[in-house]
Amino acid sequence: MKPLYSASSLLFLLSVLVFSSCVDEVNSSYTYHTMMPIYLEMSDVRARIITTEPAQPLDNPGKIYIYEDYLFINEPTKGIHILNNENPAKPINLSFIPIAGNVDMAVNGRILYADNYVDLLAFDLSNINDIKLVKRVEDVFTHMYTHATGEIITFRDTVITTENPTWGFEDGGGWLMNSSMSFSSNYSAAAQSYGTGGSMARFTLANLHLYAVDESTMRIFDVENPSDPTFLKPIDLGWGIETIFPFEDKLFIGSNVGMHIYDASTPSSPTRMAVYEHVQACDPVVVNSDYAFVTLRNGTSCWNGANQLQVIDIKDLYQPKLKKSYPMLNPHGLGLAGDFLYITEGNHGLKSFNVSDVMNIDQNQLEFLTSEKSVDLIPGPKSLIVIGPDGVCQFDYSNPAKLKKLSCIQVKNPVKFY
Amino acid sequence: MAQKKLYFGQTEIGFLYGRGADQWDGNHERRIDISFMTFNGAHITKNQVVGFSLGLDQYDEISIIPIALGWRGFLGKEGKPKIFGGLDLGGGSAILEKKVSNEWSKSWYEGELMFSPSVGFSFPAREGKTALSLSFAYKRQQFSQFYGVLSRSGSQPIATDLLPPGYNSLTENNYLFRSFVFRAGLIF
Repeated sequence: MKPLYSASSLLFLLSVLVFSSCVDEVNSSYTYHTMMPIYLEMSDVRARIITTEPAQPLDNPGKIYIYEDYLFINEPTKGIHILNNENPAKPINLSFIPIAGNVDMAVNGRILYADNYVDLLAFDLSNINDIKLVKRVEDVFTHMYTHATGEIITFRDTVITTENPTWGFEDGGGWLMNSSMSFSSNYSAAAQSYGTGGSMARFTLANLHLYAVDESTMRIFDVENPSDPTFLKPIDLGWGIETIFPFEDKLFIGSNVGMHIYDASTPSSPTRMAVYEHVQACDPVVVNSDYAFVTLRNGTSCWNGANQLQVIDIKDLYQPKLKKSYPMLNPHGLGLAGDFLYITEGNHGLKSFNVSDVMNIDQNQLEFLTSEKSVDLIPGPKSLIVIGPDGVCQFDYSNPAKLKKLSCIQVKNPVKFY
Repeated sequence: MAQKKLYFGQTEIGFLYGRGADQWDGNHERRIDISFMTFNGAHITKNQVVGFSLGLDQYDEISIIPIALGWRGFLGKEGKPKIFGGLDLGGGSAILEKKVSNEWSKSWYEGELMFSPSVGFSFPAREGKTALSLSFAYKRQQFSQFYGVLSRSGSQPIATDLLPPGYNSLTENNYLFRSFVFRAGLIF
């Protein structure tokens, strides 16, 4: 009777399974990329000693600044890499200055200005191998402060998995949000835009003053004595500020909604002359005495449908007028050197134009390097510096119709198109 | 004793009965779904068959094609009604589910493990080799539903094992369906 026994035991097993547990289960998980808030005490940040460290491999390059024969390459929120660029065909990675929270910089004489969360730092560059902190202007970029003074909030890219997707506010004190929906993604975009000295700068020096723009405010520092920057005042600009470009005694500020023109003939107190409202864009601007060149693209964070180069007549600064617009492929950054305009076309490549005749720029395209994917560029004294997915590349641009590649600095997390 | 034949086939259709997952009030909704199964195998002894099964389970949420290795064992005299037991172990394929993909998001299903023990009765036809079969089974089927929102182009990628590259978020619903199955069909 053994077989029957086994059959009935199978039946028994089956009935146990059937009657005990015929209930479905559903488990959900929600994994998302977000900006995780980090709270820092500024007193801790200030207590850290900043000294020149040995060279580190370039990772995730941000702003680039040219100072004499050196390239300063910012790694957003980490610090500044210093490279010897005496020979643009062979740049040498020299050292690294760790500055937490740093996203931008500018050099005035022998003094380097860099932001350190809410503070502005001034470094003495007299000895490039031993860069010294000479001044700290405290509590100037106050938009980072939470309500409690002394504590700042910053964000870190994080991926979080939760079993409870309905509650987005779990352990972040209300700041946890899907990064694509949160304002802080705007912050991160800002922290990762490219090329100071290039057209996406946010720190700029003009007329013995340092102008620093964040999303909504321009802050003015008197730097007449370079090693002793003094904070003068903030000026409210409105929302969505992206870039700043000085020309003569004017400031051209690119924003989400247009281009602001400020008269900075009184450097300590610029006044608004005009706002040129083109379609919404995050638009780099370059300027010569008669025209402003603006690129619009249908990037993702700036919802406009246009891929264009616009030439704006600014002979009357109070009434800027659109002169002509040219269709482009996907223009990101641009740089003007004399009569020559260079445009990075993202995935499509790198273009050079002769813009002496602004009505016929399209007919004066000099070169189109389709293999040079590029995001931003800086026309430097020795080379044209192009930032793209291949790293930081330099071109000999003595002949704008025939750019010659000199070198490329490899980077760990090269810039992506956005 | 010589074996009658090597090939064994069984095709059945029936119902899956189950109770849905916990609702907010702790209740469960009943679900009744259609199930089809065909088993093809070979006798390894007079009373035992191994082979593979293929089917279609049409749940409300999803159509699953279970594919499994199976065993059937029989008890009883030749020409008389028999009791049989069976075990199928394999996976479910969600290939019938459409993947939805657009500029911003993607969603898809993935079938997972399937396990199904069964018992049944076979009633041989008076003539020929076929038999009527009635099966009672338990079926445990897992599958997952994914909904991913793609990263906006240009947002800085982040190195992580938690998200597949190119995704900004991923919602994953893991389902475990436990069903009681009643099927009727033919053995041939």
